[in-house]
Amino acid sequence: MARVLLKNVTKRFGSVVAVDNVRLEVKDKEFMVLLGPSGCGKSTTLRLIAGLETPDEGEIWIGDRIVNEVDPTERNVAMVFQSYALYPHMTVYQNIEFPLKMARVPKHERHRRVIEVARFLGIEDLLNRYPRQLSGGQQQRVALARAIVREPEVFLLDEPLSNLDAKLRIRMRFELRKLLHDELKVTTIYVTHDQVEAMTMADRIAVMNKGRIQQVGSPREVFEKPQNLFVAGFIGVPPMNFLEGTLVEVEGRIKLDLGEYQIEVPSNYWSILKNHVGRTIVMGVRPQDVYISIKPVKGWYKAIIVGYEPLGTETYIHFTIDKKKDYIAIAKDVDTIRLGMEVYWHPNPNRLYFFDKNTGKALY
Amino acid sequence: MNPRVRKRLWVIATYVVLSFFAFIYLVPFIRSFIASFMTWEQASAYPPQWIPNPFTLINYVKLFRLELFPRWILNTAIYAGIIVAGNIVLTSMAGYAFARLSFPGRDALFSALLALLMVPAFITLVPNYIIIYRLGLIDNILGLALLGIANVSSIFLMRQYFLSLPQEVFDAARLDGCGPVKAYFYIALPLAKPALGAVAVYQFLGAWNAFLGPLIFLRSPENFTLPVGLSFAFARTMWTEYTPIIAGSLVAAAPTILLFIVLNKYLIRGIAITAGKG
Repeated sequence: MARVLLKNVTKRFGSVVAVDNVRLEVKDKEFMVLLGPSGCGKSTTLRLIAGLETPDEGEIWIGDRIVNEVDPTERNVAMVFQSYALYPHMTVYQNIEFPLKMARVPKHERHRRVIEVARFLGIEDLLNRYPRQLSGGQQQRVALARAIVREPEVFLLDEPLSNLDAKLRIRMRFELRKLLHDELKVTTIYVTHDQVEAMTMADRIAVMNKGRIQQVGSPREVFEKPQNLFVAGFIGVPPMNFLEGTLVEVEGRIKLDLGEYQIEVPSNYWSILKNHVGRTIVMGVRPQDVYISIKPVKGWYKAIIVGYEPLGTETYIHFTIDKKKDYIAIAKDVDTIRLGMEVYWHPNPNRLYFFDKNTGKALY
Repeated sequence: MNPRVRKRLWVIATYVVLSFFAFIYLVPFIRSFIASFMTWEQASAYPPQWIPNPFTLINYVKLFRLELFPRWILNTAIYAGIIVAGNIVLTSMAGYAFARLSFPGRDALFSALLALLMVPAFITLVPNYIIIYRLGLIDNILGLALLGIANVSSIFLMRQYFLSLPQEVFDAARLDGCGPVKAYFYIALPLAKPALGAVAVYQFLGAWNAFLGPLIFLRSPENFTLPVGLSFAFARTMWTEYTPIIAGSLVAAAPTILLFIVLNKYLIRGIAITAGKG
């Protein structure tokens, strides 16, 4: 078992900086998820750890040694690829056996371990089949088996669930976490662009964008206390609403001037914001924390309904206050909502976020 | 017009056109087949006659009476065998290197190699002759085979095929403990069977039917390959007796026709591979 440490790692492809000065520590036996949009450098980071790419700058540590110059084979890491990358010309048995064969493990020992792993993953009936004869879920198990059989110190998974259908994905999400984290207790680095996967599986999430790590923290932390606009906007479904305005002080009260009207900032945020009066600020509020009323309520703000998406248990309500940008609220009981209707909204005063417009940093 | 009738008419039209072109391609073959049972007088008559009269096996008799005929078949088989084996081993390695390994100058080297396809074979004939002569391999099947042992289009075909294999499989092999050499033997080569089949078939056909190379590089009748041997055996001072040559060509073509029937899916796949991404 081992921890993985990236010390100021940079990787360039020509003029493109794919991974930019990344510093990340993955603790022993931790389940770390690298989360970010496509092209954010998360897969490259994983490939750097695997040794499939070499960093231009920085150090990569696995356990207690620097592995920059260590061949992928010697790093004792196993990787599961998005396409599973099973060897099409080998049977399931041969696929699982292959890494052991390459490591010159004696034949009877190989056999014992292949059978053991196959049994563990419930694929012993498939051992004589070829990958093309397997379903997506079965292929995934074989890919896992091939990774597990080597008993690696670190598991690397590159979007392993994205080729599965939605139902299977939910089941495998649960099973993978149980297998890798609870049963095998191996250090795992898991790359995904799906935040639900990240939230449900991770011990900690490292949110990446444009080659940089934006925030590292537990799923709760990145959701509750996003450190910048990117993380705030990326984590959460539907995404957080951002209202941009100038912070003004009127009669001793701090308000956010949106142009159309001013929104009262609850007093619990005054101490943080009083130094920012006069500056442009972005206020964030999650759709779950926006209340909508069709009747006027004192202190609530006017809005126009521009659309709604019923999802069964709840409805996403799209509304606008300036006819330019629209915002989302989640509501439960919305039978009377109609397009173009004038409604009244109010944010949950205890669940607001404020960000510096220029730096994008959260103000806490 | 109802769509079923229209579809049927379309199919009929397609067959008519295809049959027409197939017929044009087949005529020389049919003519050869018929002529091989004619006397030379009848076969060379004008206007051409289509029914052997008298029907004769004399051409085949002459052919099999040739002392060197089995020897030529053996020579041709050795020549084609070396060419096929050489191309499979060498061009798959070269193609793999061009597709999967990164080394300085790789792309420039590959472009240079491709440029060789533009050079007509006749231009290299004399330099090649001089090289083979200096090596002391004139009049030697080995010397002749050396010239065709690694073919540029085979390298190109293999490279394209290796490029079409998913990168992730090679990444997985790398992590499973395969260096470039092991990955070649354990992953690339077994996955390349269709491309190797195409290379083998093409090279076999080329070598089996080769005429110009053997004509120039071989001197003694006992070293001839079949196509050269046949034209040598029936060339008279003033004229050539073509009917035994025709019979010989048919006998010589038999293995290639058989090969085509058995392996035509590889040939077609070969065309599909080269036509793929570039």
